[in-house]
Amino acid sequence: MRSKLNAESAKMKVKYIPVAFGFLLFAFGFQHCLNKKSDSNISPASSVKQQQYYVHGEQLYIKHCSNCHQKNGTGLGLLYPPLAKSDYVDKNFESVICLMRYGVEGELIVNGKNFNKAMPGISSLSNLEIAEIATYVYNTWGHQRDSIELKDVSRILGNCKQTPITK
Amino acid sequence: MVNSNVVKLVMLLMVASALLLSSCAEKKEAPLPIFGEKEVEGGDTIYHTIADFKFVDQDSAVVTNDTFKDKIYVADFFFTSCRTICPIMKTQMLRVYDSIQNEPDVLLLSHSIDPEYDTVGLLHDYAERLGVKSNKWHFVTGSKEDIYKIAQTSYFATAMEDKAEPDGFIHSGAFLLIDKNKRIRGKYDGTKEEDVNRLLVEIQRLKKEYAK
Repeated sequence: MRSKLNAESAKMKVKYIPVAFGFLLFAFGFQHCLNKKSDSNISPASSVKQQQYYVHGEQLYIKHCSNCHQKNGTGLGLLYPPLAKSDYVDKNFESVICLMRYGVEGELIVNGKNFNKAMPGISSLSNLEIAEIATYVYNTWGHQRDSIELKDVSRILGNCKQTPITK
Repeated sequence: MVNSNVVKLVMLLMVASALLLSSCAEKKEAPLPIFGEKEVEGGDTIYHTIADFKFVDQDSAVVTNDTFKDKIYVADFFFTSCRTICPIMKTQMLRVYDSIQNEPDVLLLSHSIDPEYDTVGLLHDYAERLGVKSNKWHFVTGSKEDIYKIAQTSYFATAMEDKAEPDGFIHSGAFLLIDKNKRIRGKYDGTKEEDVNRLLVEIQRLKKEYAK
């Protein structure tokens, strides 16, 4: 009788091994999710409007920019300059705003390296969309500029000197 | 006593089945498929092969089938001014390049589908900026007609002009794996990392076929 009981309990234990294993996996997965670091540096204290800009900006970035500049902003070789760690992005806010709409061509020095491939402008982007993309780019990958106002972006766009580059 | 015996038995079974499974997987590795129509002539099966071609690469060197004699190669179609899928394809092809850099019998071939704009000089600059060697990765240009024809009839890849598209062309983002007998052995979506992972594995599998 006793040995039968022991056998039963052993069976039960064996049965629980996969279950316990499953739980363990789940726990690891869960922890992994929690540990997942976001690249966002936008301050939690920023306004709801700014947070919205950021979220829309990320979607627009993925759609219009990430093919070349990559999702993580590292660029590609000497073809497409990086945005993530980029002295050009850091120092030329107004040019960055303008080139989204009008494009840019000729030599461009980024982090001491020479880039020279024309970037066509995206004329379909509205002022608001450009402000949103800027909010994303300037608050991700170590950048932290926080508040980017539509009225400032509109003013900058009104003063751009470039002629549109299409190819 | 009974307890530990049961556990031992279960463990033994698990080890045994794991061994069994792994040995099955080893044996099951079938050769890669051969794409396209095949015809049987007499006792021989004739497979679809890449037609003869003659293009010019980024060093102004003439590139023909002979360039790829006794080589495995990966082919694709792109153009340098493309903003849509090409940069992603080139990011992925660069991974392929990195993985086969030191393998003398594997090459890469990228055809421009905008050959009038993509001159030798432009392709040279492009390859240099990508940081790749021209004897490993050929970027070719030629007559538009020839390139579109070989894309569609030899590589089964879409390539054509379409003014309605944002960049003026439609083309597939496919990477084609070609064996040493000019046959297509794999087709991969060059815009998807996982598909390119499969390509990396299958290049090695194809190499093994010739190692025998």
